[in-house]
Amino acid sequence: MSKISDEYLNAFVDNQLDAEEKGLAFDAIGKDDALRGAVCEVRELKEMVRHAYQDPPGYRRLREKWRSRIQLQSLAACLMLLMVGGLSGWLVSTISESGTGRELGHLFQAISRSDRGSEPSKIMIYVGNANPVRLRAALDESENLLEDYRRDNQKLRLEIIANDSGVDLLRAGVSRYAGRIAMMQARYPNLSLVACTQTLNKLQRRGVAVRLLPNIKTVTSAADEIRKRLKEGWDYVRV
Amino acid sequence: MKILSLLCRTDLQSQLEKIRPKLYRVAYSWSHNAALADDLVQETMIKALQNSGQLRNPDSLNGWLFTILANCWRDYFRQHREMEDIEELEDYRCVDEFTPEDGHAQSQLVSRVRHAVSRLPLGQRQVLTLVDLEEFSYVEVSGILDIPVGTVMSRLCRARKALKSMLYELAPTTAKVSHIRRI
Repeated sequence: MSKISDEYLNAFVDNQLDAEEKGLAFDAIGKDDALRGAVCEVRELKEMVRHAYQDPPGYRRLREKWRSRIQLQSLAACLMLLMVGGLSGWLVSTISESGTGRELGHLFQAISRSDRGSEPSKIMIYVGNANPVRLRAALDESENLLEDYRRDNQKLRLEIIANDSGVDLLRAGVSRYAGRIAMMQARYPNLSLVACTQTLNKLQRRGVAVRLLPNIKTVTSAADEIRKRLKEGWDYVRV
Repeated sequence: MKILSLLCRTDLQSQLEKIRPKLYRVAYSWSHNAALADDLVQETMIKALQNSGQLRNPDSLNGWLFTILANCWRDYFRQHREMEDIEELEDYRCVDEFTPEDGHAQSQLVSRVRHAVSRLPLGQRQVLTLVDLEEFSYVEVSGILDIPVGTVMSRLCRARKALKSMLYELAPTTAKVSHIRRI
């Protein structure tokens, strides 16, 4: 048994050896009862680990939640495809009646250009930690972005979203930045600050009286809000 | 283009739906905390959707997602453990943290195995679960965790030795049984 190392034995059980190595291992195992026993033990351990995590707690709930979201998203994509198909068909028929395919190209380019110019940039900044360095960084970055866009006369929607201990940033009597946040809110109407209701409820269940700073929005779940925003084309920055 | 990207994204999401239970199973086996595993998987999904453009080869989606999951797990420790050296994470054991198994369930096999896995140093736990639960090759695990293949092999070997010791050699031989007494 000493000819085969434990690492080699594990690799044999995990099917990680090439054909020649496997042949050598089979030969050695065939001649050695102790080695055969060791192989059985590793296989048994593998099976036990697999069995132990076959159905971990919370798995079913997650599966159902995610499936319902996917179905809605697929439905939305199909509807959009139908609308685009219908619209492009109508455009093609209209233009082919009055002009050439070249005009169609110009029309789409114009639509695309006007879309780009009229759509504001959308950025969300996520804070999930009460580390003062991170909280300050979140406000610094937000302020820099808001100022840059304003200076360049570009449109921007910026959302700071907080959950977990990051909600401390938005709590009255807790946040060290209440004054700065109030000033930012007054200066930048395109800034919104959002707290996660799940986190707030958790704090309340622990007996913590939670009060938020003025004009702070709440959402049911920060994670869901982030997912929703990503689908809407928002950029995401985690601080 | 937006429509096309939305459709691609929807396709990616349907693939994520299939892989999500696997991600959750592994996240749970690392953390032994359903809420934390849920958060880690959610974070992994968000990052995957956000960075879907980085995935050049669709065949490597599985390994790519588990790499994101491993990074999320490291980030979690960076934020919550405040370890000076991130390498300490590999040796971190969560036995003093919350474990779902209480004392009464120790005699049950599933609980005993989960408890034993939760007592492994994290580096070993990650390798063991990726190989045993998801059947990743050693090379793939090496890529996901960003460690050499030799380290994968040695960690796996140590993990199985420790598991064997905890499950066979140190396991309680008899369960406490309350006998009914005749009065």
